[in-house]
Amino acid sequence: MKITRRAATLGMVALGAGALAAPAFAESEEQLYAAAKKEGRVTWYAGYLNQPICEAIGEAFTKKYPGVRVFATKTTSQVAFQRVLQDFNAGAVQADIFSSTDANHMTYLIGKGQLVKYTPPNAAGLVKALRDFNGGGYYYPGWVGVVALMYNTKKVSAADSPKDWPDLTDPKWKNRISFGSPNFSGLVGVWAVAMTQKYGWDYFEKLNKLNPQIGRSIDDAVAVLNGGERDVAICSAAAAFRSAKTGNPLAVNYAKSFTLADYSPTAILKGSHSPNAAKLFANFSAGPEYSKILADNEEQPLRGDVPPPKGAKSLADLTLYQPDLADVEKLLPGIRNKWRDLFG
Amino acid sequence: MSLAGAEGGETLPGRPGFLAARLRRIEPARFFFLAAIAVLVFLIVAPVVRLLASSFQSVDDGSFTVANYVVAWSDPRNLIAVGNSIRYAIEVTILSAVFAVPIAWGVSRTDMPAKSLVRALIIGAFITPPYLGSVGWILLGGPNAGWLNRAWMGLTGSSHGFMNVFSFEGMVLVTALYSFPYIFVFTSAALDLVSTEMEEAANILGSGSLRTIFRITLPLVLPAILGGAIIVFLDTIALFGVPAVIALPARIRVMTLVLWQFFEFPVRAQAAAAYAIPLILVTLALFAVQRLVLGRKGYVALTGKGGGRRFAELGPWRWVMLAYALFIVGLAVIGPYLALAQAAFSRAWGLGMSWANFTLDNFHTLLVSPDSRDTIVHTFEYAAAAATLSVVLALTIAYIVSRRLVRAGGLLTVLAMAPLVIPGIVLGVAFYATYAPPPIALYGTAAILVIAYTTRFLPIAYVNSMAGVRSLNPEMEEAVRILGGGRLKAMRRVVVPLLKANLVGSWLLVFIPAARELSTALFLVAARTRVISVMMLDLSENGSFETLAALGLILLVATIIIVLAGYKLVGRDFMLRRS
Repeated sequence: MKITRRAATLGMVALGAGALAAPAFAESEEQLYAAAKKEGRVTWYAGYLNQPICEAIGEAFTKKYPGVRVFATKTTSQVAFQRVLQDFNAGAVQADIFSSTDANHMTYLIGKGQLVKYTPPNAAGLVKALRDFNGGGYYYPGWVGVVALMYNTKKVSAADSPKDWPDLTDPKWKNRISFGSPNFSGLVGVWAVAMTQKYGWDYFEKLNKLNPQIGRSIDDAVAVLNGGERDVAICSAAAAFRSAKTGNPLAVNYAKSFTLADYSPTAILKGSHSPNAAKLFANFSAGPEYSKILADNEEQPLRGDVPPPKGAKSLADLTLYQPDLADVEKLLPGIRNKWRDLFG
Repeated sequence: MSLAGAEGGETLPGRPGFLAARLRRIEPARFFFLAAIAVLVFLIVAPVVRLLASSFQSVDDGSFTVANYVVAWSDPRNLIAVGNSIRYAIEVTILSAVFAVPIAWGVSRTDMPAKSLVRALIIGAFITPPYLGSVGWILLGGPNAGWLNRAWMGLTGSSHGFMNVFSFEGMVLVTALYSFPYIFVFTSAALDLVSTEMEEAANILGSGSLRTIFRITLPLVLPAILGGAIIVFLDTIALFGVPAVIALPARIRVMTLVLWQFFEFPVRAQAAAAYAIPLILVTLALFAVQRLVLGRKGYVALTGKGGGRRFAELGPWRWVMLAYALFIVGLAVIGPYLALAQAAFSRAWGLGMSWANFTLDNFHTLLVSPDSRDTIVHTFEYAAAAATLSVVLALTIAYIVSRRLVRAGGLLTVLAMAPLVIPGIVLGVAFYATYAPPPIALYGTAAILVIAYTTRFLPIAYVNSMAGVRSLNPEMEEAVRILGGGRLKAMRRVVVPLLKANLVGSWLLVFIPAARELSTALFLVAARTRVISVMMLDLSENGSFETLAALGLILLVATIIIVLAGYKLVGRDFMLRRS
């Protein structure tokens, strides 16, 4: 079939019209950048990573898109979420981007119609499992918490170390285990749900008999192990790698039956100051530069084309499991309650 | 609230010309006092009323409900937590007084040596964020690997250590070590003001030294000790840092831990408010107790007449006194910081002590990064601004209340005392709700932190100012007024100079907790207004314990240098001695 010039023109017009009808797909990077430059800034309430990493990300963004500054504030997810709620109540949305370790925060905001639906083009390059974590197009993952087993290499040999979740219930770990509390940490909460689903509540009854030391956040265990107070722990792999990198006697085992991955969403808030810069930043977060900064800081990169930090495995090589969000929402309150009774 | 005539002003309403006559007689001071009251009312009432209102608001649609109180108070575990918190606060208060009062007496009233060092180390204990102190104590007193326990096991061959920091007693000890400076500063400031004439009189009349201390000296400074004790009690009830590190592993439930759980999803900030509001009643009860204890006794210690101060000569006992003081500051500062120093100077502290592992990198990283330098400088700037504002406001309000310049003085006291008892995180939410949205729109500025600290620690300055103003005999101000001076002049020329030491004490008492404040700051900091405590939390969550320990040491050393320089600069005036 011969394509006439006229038909081609028509086709292009049609494509253009289609683009207008679905602007999410049509805004080219250049257009977004031009609009973002007018806005001049993007404000980010980050519930994960830490302030220096958030700032490194902000600087990389501004370097790529001069004229658009990033104001990143790292707090705990709970504080960030509370601020977002209050900002909406006051009718003054301060942040353009909100990131949290608790996907339920997003579910709540979607229910209230307070998120912008946007799928960044770069999301296509994310690891498959992460690509599907998108809340129907309202968010996409900005960080993955990989929950693993950690041990002090001065006290425990590799051969002796716990290789899988149930190994921790071995009596030889009496007075030697440490982990956080689901009442204070979202990541520990997801872990507690996964353990209950796979091994039943009995798993924690057994652990309790071994007198574990309960901390608050999941990463408290790093200091507990380095100080020699306890020998094995549940940890976030990134914190363990970071501490081990400086020479601390820590090693990580990815649990044999499955690795718990907590996908942490990031989203654009509706009615914010810089909707275009927000989209540009969202796309940047799904891109390779962002994942590279994560890997440089021993965090898990989100893309297959960015190699994991030394010693860590790529997400594609792990048997990942994340409990269904609805299950977490349903089960967690009960687990927290039982936890209070069991662990005080 | 109306300003009553200070002289009991005979009112003759209805007579023409009366108003004009009254207006002519109004001193400019009254406008100043009214302005101070207005500022107080706004600072306290705006966030507290917001908090109170939110405790009655439905989470979903904001309609009126008591459901939050049901959520907060129906779980028996939450009630147990209240019981634990009260027991915790009582024990900490008593232990703090046992630590503080003898040292205060030793420093202010005796010829104990090395006083500046002891004072500086006490301020060092004070500046230490309780969170950091607890971490240091875990390194010392952890049941399995604590230094003290390992030393004990090495010495005695025992298979167990002799202490477990993860216990109720451990938590009380650690908290008291970082709270006793409140009572110390209050008590020593009061001891510095009281002349020794009365003690000398008692001695001349045949009273022994101990008898004099218990019958004369202590009763004279009892209001100050009680003031400090109340602050310690309230501060402990609202404390999060120590319980987070110690109570959780020790499996002890306290109120602040319960409160934080209301912020886990599903977020119930309203229930947190409902759980915290009744604490204001605790404050009221405490002041009733204070009134009962002090009765109607007057403790005017500072009169217009002279009065020397003479140090008690302890002889060899002065070394015992010093040993006690050093023992306490050793527990609070020297021990924990030595343990922290091991981490601060290590590449990887899990490897233990060795030359290969020694590094200065952790300090270098902190001091060269503009970001962390800004954070350190900001922290001190915000705390200094808040301390200055609190002292001015607290002294003015204390003066208004104690000289009965308004009718509702008691109400002002309640207002001024309310913020301390509300746990920081709840107050943080209230501040954010009050000051972040337009038209005030202070989020992201330093002002929101300064206002928050000023409000949160106003009670401390207020209690201290009240003790100071009460110790002044009003006849000196009356003299100014008889000679034609106004109230402002009396304040400026009599009250402020006489209370200089007290005011410097107040300033420090606000400056230091403001510099280490965490739970309110957590809600209010933005990228460019981060403070040290928030940075420490970040570092701990990041597993960067070595950098965290280095930051703690920088904080300690900087504080001690500032304090020692301060004593050098204002030393003589500070002691208020008449040569």
